[in-house]
Amino acid sequence: MLHDAPQFLMALEQSALASAIRQSSWAYMTANVGHILALMVFVSSVVVMDARLLGAFAAAPPAMVVRPARRLAASGLLLMAATGFMLFTAEATHVASNGVFQLKAALIVLGILNALLAGRLMRETLDQAQAFEPLPTAARLCAVLSLMIWFATAACGRLIAYF
Amino acid sequence: MHKTLAVIGFGLAVPTVVLAHHGWGSYDAAHPITVAGPIETLKYENPHALITVKAADKVWTVTLAPTSRMHARGAPPELVAVGKTVSAYGYPSTVEKDEMRAERITVDGKTVELR
Repeated sequence: MLHDAPQFLMALEQSALASAIRQSSWAYMTANVGHILALMVFVSSVVVMDARLLGAFAAAPPAMVVRPARRLAASGLLLMAATGFMLFTAEATHVASNGVFQLKAALIVLGILNALLAGRLMRETLDQAQAFEPLPTAARLCAVLSLMIWFATAACGRLIAYF
Repeated sequence: MHKTLAVIGFGLAVPTVVLAHHGWGSYDAAHPITVAGPIETLKYENPHALITVKAADKVWTVTLAPTSRMHARGAPPELVAVGKTVSAYGYPSTVEKDEMRAERITVDGKTVELR
């Protein structure tokens, strides 16, 4: 544990939950595997959603693709948050002071804000948009941003161990 | 596109102000060392088991492997118990003082590969 870390991080790392995760023979491993499986669900639905916004699968009305894909992405993200919290808790002080983790956390905030903004921009127009009809530039820009942010987030996640 | 770049740039700039702690990449593999002596403490925990070893010059923190791998390779907690004499071959941290990660350890005449 880092002893010059913020108090709440030291408390989190010393909590009964954190000890249990570290001492269990399966908890950390399971959270690690679960995090990757959740990432597969999350990023696959994000790619389908963003591809539709950018004009792929044009024969399907946008709302028919985007709405269910967005719900699936949200469940994937929740699972990622739960498993990610377990991994973070076990080594809270070290992970929080890792520069790549800090970048990842900032990217997650940006990604969620971008997704909320896209939802707001498309709230009325999405259901009216027809098959084969290009979506507004703002929506396509959000889709490009979304892909860039989430791929960068995933890369950071893997890179935490190397910096 | 300018907006896109501006937002990405902002994301990259935000976290760089905080001091970085270094991870698995920051070990000096070009200068391996051997740390030998009695084990003073053991944390048989995930993500990596840790021992402290009282070597001739100083007390080293030696990072081992995940506990499931330790078991699989034949290094249960009893093998690396406090008081046992260990010889650990590995790489010194370039960031953390007196810390090394072990490539392999030898205890009770038994050598266990940890990578």
